[in-house]
Amino acid sequence: MDIVLGQLFTGLSIGSILLLVALGLAIIYGSMGVINLAHGEFVMLGAYSTWLLQSAFGLPFLACLVLVFFMVAFAGWVVERGVVRFLYYRPLDTILATWGIGIILQQAVRLSAGAELRYVQTPEALAGSIDLLGIAIPSYRLFILAVTAGLLLLTWFLVQHTEFGMKLRAVTQNREMASCYGINSSRVFSLTFAFGSGLAGLAGALVAPIKSVAPDMGTNFVVDAFMVVVVGGVGSLLGTVASSGILGGSTAGLAFLLNDTLAKALVFLAVVVLIRFRPRGLFVDRVRR
Amino acid sequence: MSRIKSPSHAWPPANSSAPPAAARPSLPQRASYVQILVYLAFCLLILAVPLVIDDAFLLNKYARYLALGLAAAALSLSWGYSGILNLGQGVSFGLGAYAIAMHLKLKTSPVHTGAAGLPDFMVWNNVQTLPWFWEPFHSTLFAILAGMLLPVIVASLLGWFMFRARIVGVYVAIITLAMLVVTNLLFIDQQRYTGGFNGLTDLAWLEIGGVEFDPYSPTFYYLTAGCLSVCLLLGLALTRSKAGLILRAIRNDVDRVRFFGYDVAAYQILAFAVSAGMAGVAGMLYAMVLEFASPTFMGVPLSLSMVIWAAVGGRGSLLGATIGAILVNFMQGSLSETFLDTWQLILGALFILVVLFLPNGLASLIDMAGERLGRAPPRARTEEPAAAAPRAMGTFNTKQRG
Repeated sequence: MDIVLGQLFTGLSIGSILLLVALGLAIIYGSMGVINLAHGEFVMLGAYSTWLLQSAFGLPFLACLVLVFFMVAFAGWVVERGVVRFLYYRPLDTILATWGIGIILQQAVRLSAGAELRYVQTPEALAGSIDLLGIAIPSYRLFILAVTAGLLLLTWFLVQHTEFGMKLRAVTQNREMASCYGINSSRVFSLTFAFGSGLAGLAGALVAPIKSVAPDMGTNFVVDAFMVVVVGGVGSLLGTVASSGILGGSTAGLAFLLNDTLAKALVFLAVVVLIRFRPRGLFVDRVRR
Repeated sequence: MSRIKSPSHAWPPANSSAPPAAARPSLPQRASYVQILVYLAFCLLILAVPLVIDDAFLLNKYARYLALGLAAAALSLSWGYSGILNLGQGVSFGLGAYAIAMHLKLKTSPVHTGAAGLPDFMVWNNVQTLPWFWEPFHSTLFAILAGMLLPVIVASLLGWFMFRARIVGVYVAIITLAMLVVTNLLFIDQQRYTGGFNGLTDLAWLEIGGVEFDPYSPTFYYLTAGCLSVCLLLGLALTRSKAGLILRAIRNDVDRVRFFGYDVAAYQILAFAVSAGMAGVAGMLYAMVLEFASPTFMGVPLSLSMVIWAAVGGRGSLLGATIGAILVNFMQGSLSETFLDTWQLILGALFILVVLFLPNGLASLIDMAGERLGRAPPRARTEEPAAAAPRAMGTFNTKQRG
């Protein structure tokens, strides 16, 4: 029983980090069709910003989170204005251009902050663990779970119940028509890109205390996050949630039976087969396009 | 795929940038001879390098660039000519590299291999007998054939799997990327048979018919340059054949080709498999020149770098992609250690600029220059050459349907 519960929680924990990283990507890819390979680098930027704010300015962790969101969102905004907006009609080329951006960001961080690993401290209030049904669960993992759920709700609210969200949905469905009705579609896109990047930055800040912070940490995240988004179905928040749960759970389960590396390989193989049969993902929204 | 409607009015309709069929008399014919001559000249040029350079270290370095050039050329065959963006070129490259490395590992002198002719890492991993799939790699011929055919078989299967389901565009990129990660993880995981993270090190030299290919010798350089030349010319022959024409048509408009009754998937599998075979050869050469094979050959960064090289040189030209790879690596290799850090920044920026402003790479610069000088075929002059190229690219990319 303990083992099952423990595994369940491990799966939930892996899934929540996946979801955290994939959420921003889902927004960007789902609404703009841009394959942002620099997403992992935004995660990395978030982690480094947290490290910088914490070690250089001594800010408390929670205050860092808010600041990091805006810092990375700004970086995303600059990238969108500078490069991505020229490529909306060439989706395959966005893969290449954003990879180039990723190289630059990675190298810029390596040059300015050094190539060695950095460590971000877990806030003291969250350092312990909580007993839940007989198993000890690190409170920080619970905190991540809660924040992820909060961000998910926030994103859902933003997309479904605000004026900005309405404009975003309109532009997503038909950019030309939305523009005809007076929606500034390029502004909507750059704000969306900034929001998605900000979410990536937050993800980076949150994983920083449990993973080592290094300039090339983003590369792993971005591939994982892509698989989550594609499996979940483009443009479907619920699908992203479900698929991060499925992928996280199966990775944890297989890792328990085999080992981490093999588990990841098998999950990816399953994803490939799935894309072959359902390229639009498991949960497709029924918007006509 | 993308939820942005790709509006037909955003770019001129596809046929406006295509040359009018009536306006091509004998000039393209002459241009096509020029193309063959240029390829032949390039092959002669790289084969002549050892006549001028007598430095073993430099020759080794240049052989490495040529091997990477071949990998980029292979990529341009599937990407530029057929519209299949393969982000997992490292799968074929790595399979080729490991195939030849397994053979050369078995040939290493007993000092390194430990007991009973077992490779050293197997001894460390408590493997008692040589696994059955290592046995045939005692034969040189088998290893070389495996290095070429294994990638071809894997690519054919993957191609059959993808293209029969009419997977296109972004999804091909994602599937190939996922396959790359899977292969990389499997090779790292099966440490007992593949050497895990370290890969296969301390390799012997290749020996064919009494000739030893010391990676620091003109002999080895000739082998690499010869392989590259043969592959380039074969690739050129393929692109100039009818199959090449149909592949370009598929790239521009899949549905039209399908309506004409062509088996689109078969042609795509062909291009994908030939490209994989060439990448396998490139991987073999690369493993021999570095004298090791490692899982980083199948890492995401190397495969995406190959895409960068091909894009910088010109994705739509085998020779362009080759030269792009050689150029980028040459620049990278000739910079001092201290400048190498900044170089990555420049490389990233260069890449973004090429994607934004020169979608057909440096090769299109040469075309444009040629057109400016008035040696252009008639169509180019009527259609403002500078604008025509990126637009053609744009229409081709918006044609990807999910």
